[in-house]
Formats: sequence, structure tokens, C-alpha cells
Amino acid sequence: MFPNFRLSMTWLHTWFGLVLGYVLIVVFFFGTLSVFDREFDRWAIPQTRFAPQPIPSFDAMLRPIFDHMAPEPADLEALRRRSGGTLPKLTPVEWTAYTTHRDPVLSLYTEYAVGNDADKPDEEIYAHATIDPRDGRQLAGDPLKIGSEFFYPMHIGLHLTWMGVGYWIVGLSALAMLCALVSGVVIHRRLFREFFTLRPRKHVQRSTLDLHNLTGVAALPFHFFFALTGLTIFAGIYFPVSETMLKPQAQAALVAQAAERGLPAKAAGVTAPLASVDAMVAEAQRRWAARGMPGDVGMVEVQHVGDRNSVVAVYRAGSDRVALLGQAIHFEGTTGRVLHEEPPATVVTGINDFLTGLHLQQFDHWLLRWFYVVGGLAGCACIVTGFLFFVEKRKRQHAKVGLGGARWADAFAVATVTGMLGATLAMLVANRLLPDELVGRNEWEQRVFWGAWLVALLHAAWRSAPIRLGKASPAWHEQCVGVAVLALAAVLLDAVTTGDHLLKTLAQPYWPVAGVDLALLVVAACAASVAVKHRRRKRAARLALRHA
Amino acid sequence: MHEALLQALAMLSSLCGMGWLALAMDTHWTQVRGAVRQGARGVKRLRALAGAAIVASLALCLAADHASIAVLVWIMSLVLATLLVAFALASRPRWLRWLALAGG
Repeated sequence: MFPNFRLSMTWLHTWFGLVLGYVLIVVFFFGTLSVFDREFDRWAIPQTRFAPQPIPSFDAMLRPIFDHMAPEPADLEALRRRSGGTLPKLTPVEWTAYTTHRDPVLSLYTEYAVGNDADKPDEEIYAHATIDPRDGRQLAGDPLKIGSEFFYPMHIGLHLTWMGVGYWIVGLSALAMLCALVSGVVIHRRLFREFFTLRPRKHVQRSTLDLHNLTGVAALPFHFFFALTGLTIFAGIYFPVSETMLKPQAQAALVAQAAERGLPAKAAGVTAPLASVDAMVAEAQRRWAARGMPGDVGMVEVQHVGDRNSVVAVYRAGSDRVALLGQAIHFEGTTGRVLHEEPPATVVTGINDFLTGLHLQQFDHWLLRWFYVVGGLAGCACIVTGFLFFVEKRKRQHAKVGLGGARWADAFAVATVTGMLGATLAMLVANRLLPDELVGRNEWEQRVFWGAWLVALLHAAWRSAPIRLGKASPAWHEQCVGVAVLALAAVLLDAVTTGDHLLKTLAQPYWPVAGVDLALLVVAACAASVAVKHRRRKRAARLALRHA
Repeated sequence: MHEALLQALAMLSSLCGMGWLALAMDTHWTQVRGAVRQGARGVKRLRALAGAAIVASLALCLAADHASIAVLVWIMSLVLATLLVAFALASRPRWLRWLALAGG
């Protein structure tokens, strides 16, 4: 099909990069924002702007909350419909309390077993609550955590929840990215000789390709490991063998593993009270300290709730390591006796924990966190310059023969770059403008995001007509103006509606809010500068044409 | 504070390492030093310095953090250093003159 290997790799890189690049840039951008997801949560929910807290007393505070938790009415209604009109009996089977070193609020989850229907052994329903660990009060209305409940799910599944299709699209894109990285290395003629090369004063096509190569090659280890670990983390979704063809074997393995560890695999079906979990937490911390790795509790899990076989697992927060959680100690729920202390990780488990932890980054290391932002932005720059190079290379050629391909490629590029940025900022603005008492406020914030993005796409499609004449699209600089205005508006609105202006948050200092505000100002400045330069260049080109 | 100092030194070391690696290439040497010629020994010296600085950066990262985190910090510091050196060469090559002194 192609005369040589390099040309076939060029084809692969160009077309996989263009088509899946539109997905990849969304994944990269929201992945970059997710590095600071908890900080966006603080910005979006002003009542949670206080210092991170350790897990509070389970016996005194969490236990009564777990006892009164219930699934969302909408989830119950859906379950009622699935069960033919009557709500089956719900039995809590698992309680989980999870926090990180960046969380002032605590997330609680309850998993319920549904009825006794043998035909649906996998039917489960969950309840979720966010509490203020200082007084145990539940967050009123459970406002949307924009960082961890909107940006992060966008990164991993594009909010396409039907049949989990979002995970599959993101997975396919990650796979395509690995192909693009390998093919990119193959087609790069002077990878080492042009390792540091960037020639911004050369013509647009050349300088765009330089920036594409630089951001791709310099951050190659980051791009490669993040695409790879993104796939390995969700390997269970892409190869669900333990839930399908090997399900009996997987369940037998779980039972055998539990027996080996001295842990009950199933509930006994006999009601029994829970011993003091606080005492178990103290014992876990004593054991970690004795191992020479004192640490905070990251997660407490109670399995087989209320049963004689209940087990309490206390996990150490991995803030000082790359691995997320670890060194779990399992206690007998009814007595508090230690049943199993997880041994140090084996080589295989250690590698898996490292690969997962490096991607999900819950460690307490702000420099590395910022380095990840640099890597993520380099990825975005690499994809954007790929789009621009594609359009620059073809637009005159397409103009001559009357093809519209370059125009549409450019319109989608505008929508997925400045359009996506604008939609994100519009969501932050809506977060500050929508009244707290508005019914369905969380949904309205999301509607604003999708609506703004759709408007950006329509605007980009409408204004990209000049590409058909071989010229530049004004949509880029027009949307840059929009981005600058929205970013500035978000900072001002936060100051007006909460009183947490930059002078105050910097003086305290309260970095989660100050950091987001400062980043928004940088975005506004960059977008304004790009808009001004773009307009100036366009004016110069027009003048040159007039004098010619 | 102690860790922050070690991390700052690691970043500086990565920056010097990637800067020297770039200056060992003719094109970038010319961007920084113009007509001043560079001999074969100068190139070797710059490459050796670059290698030493990159290794020193790893050692500093390991001294600052647990090995699992240190290796990530080190790789990402090299990524950032590469980008900074490339941007400096593109817009302000004279900023790298102090590094070029080592190349003769």
C-alpha cells in the first residue's frame, strides 16, 4: 500500500492523530485539571474552604452517619422500576470512609445488597455522603465537586455512561496515542539532532511542527507512561474476564485468598455487634509505626456490616509514597482481633501499585504535582500543534481543489481547544452565579458546560469559512477573547460572591483557592495575548495584500 | 525546607545538564556563542558535564524523597529542563552564555 515503512507510519500518525486527537485533547486537558481536582472542589464549594482533616472518630461520629445513610431517591426509583414496581429490601453490606491529605471533607459510601433475588446476584446500590469531619454535618444538597466529580470523570470516561462506552473510547484513544508515539518516533527524521529545536520565526508550518516535535519528544516518557498506565488501571474494564468467562474461577480464587489470609469470604448470616473501630485504627497506626513507616489513615472499610463475619480493614494513606493506599490491617469486626496484616508488596504487586499510583497521584508532593501539569500541558500543546500542522499543510491545497476537509479539521480543533477551555470557564462562572437554592443546581452547572461547548462548536464551524480560501480562521482569536473574559469573570465573581479575593487568600494563605484564581488570571493573560497577536498578524497580512 | 532545597538543586542540576547537552550540538552552540568556535574537546567536555549534572540531579532527588517518588521527580525535572532550554534557545539564547563558558 505504501512504498516504505516510514510512509505507512506517517499515514498512521496523521489519521489516528487527527481523528482520535479530538478525544485525546479532552482526556489530556481534563487529566491536567484533575491533578488539582480537590482544589477545584474547594473553589466550587465555598463552605468547604478549610484545612484538610484526618479521619474523625468512627465510633462517635461516622457510625451514626452510616446507620442513617440512604441511596439517592433517583437511584431508589430506578431500582423500584427495575424490580417491577416494588422496592426490594436493602441490606448494607459495606461501609467505606475515604480521605486524602488534600481533603477537608470526608467521603462516605455504603454498598447495599438488594433483596434475595437469586436471578440478580450482582444487583447493588450505593449511598454516598460528604461530611465536614469537624462536626459530622453533611454538606447541604451535596453540591457538585467540579474537580473530582466532573473534571475527573470527564478525563476517564467523557461522561458517556451508557454501557460504559466512554471508558472504551478513552481506552481506544490511549491505545492510539501509544501508536502515535511509536509512529511519531519512527517518522521523526532528526529526533536527536533536533531534540532542542524550536524556530518560532520560521513560517507557521515549520514552527508548528517544531513545537509539535519538541513537546512530543521532550515529554515522551510522560506521554508514554500515562497512556500505558491509563490502560493498565482500567484493564479490568477492557478485559473483564473475571466478570465473564472466568467468573467461577475468579470467585474461587477470592475465596481461596480469603481463606489463606484467615478472612471470612462470606457473611455468616448471623447478626452481631461491631467492636470499637477507633481501637482498631489506633492498633493499625501502632503497627505501622513499629514497621518504621508511621502514617495517617487513608481508608477505613467495614465488610459484611452487622454480621458475625464482619471485617474491618484499615488502610494507610500513601501520601509519602507513589502507591495510593497500602499496608492494610484486617480486624475481626466483632472483637477487634487482628486477622491479617498485609505483608510488604511482592515485586508484581509493587510494580502494579507504582504504575497505578503514579497516574492517580494522591501523594503529598506539590512539585511533582506541578510537573504533572507541565507534562499534561505539553501533551495538549503537542496535540494542538498536530491539528494546526494538519490544517496548515492542507488548507491551500484544499482551497485550490475546493475541498472542505481542512475547514472542518480546523473547526473541530477550535472547538476542542479554545471551545473546551471556554466551556470549562463558563461552568466555573455558572458555579458562582447560579443561586444556591436553585433546584437541580448541579445539573444546571453541567448543562452550562455542554451548552457553552456546543455554542463554541457552532461558532467555530460558522467562522471557519476563510480556511476554504486558504486563510486563517478568525474563530481562534474570537474564542481567545471569550476565554480571557470568562477567566477574568470567574476570578471577579469568586471575589464578589464569597469575599475570598486574591489579596485575602494569598495573605492567609489558602492555596487551593488562591492557586485556582492565579491560574485563571494566567489563562486570561495568555488568551488575551494570543488574541492580540493573532489580530495583529491578520491586520499586517491584510495591509501587505493591499500594498502588493 | 531541607527537601525543598534539595529539589531546587535537582531542578538546577537538570537545567544545567540539558543546557550543556544542547550546547554540545553545533547549531545551539552557534545560537549562544555566535562566531566563537568550539573544538572537539569542548564538545566532549560539555557532554561529560551534561552526564554528570543529570546523574547529580538523580542523586539529589533520591536524597530528597522516597525512591519511588524521586525517580518521577527526576524524569519530570528533565522534561521541564528540556522545554526551558529549547524555549531559551528559541527566544533568549544569550541566557545560556553562562553555561557555554564550560565549553571553552
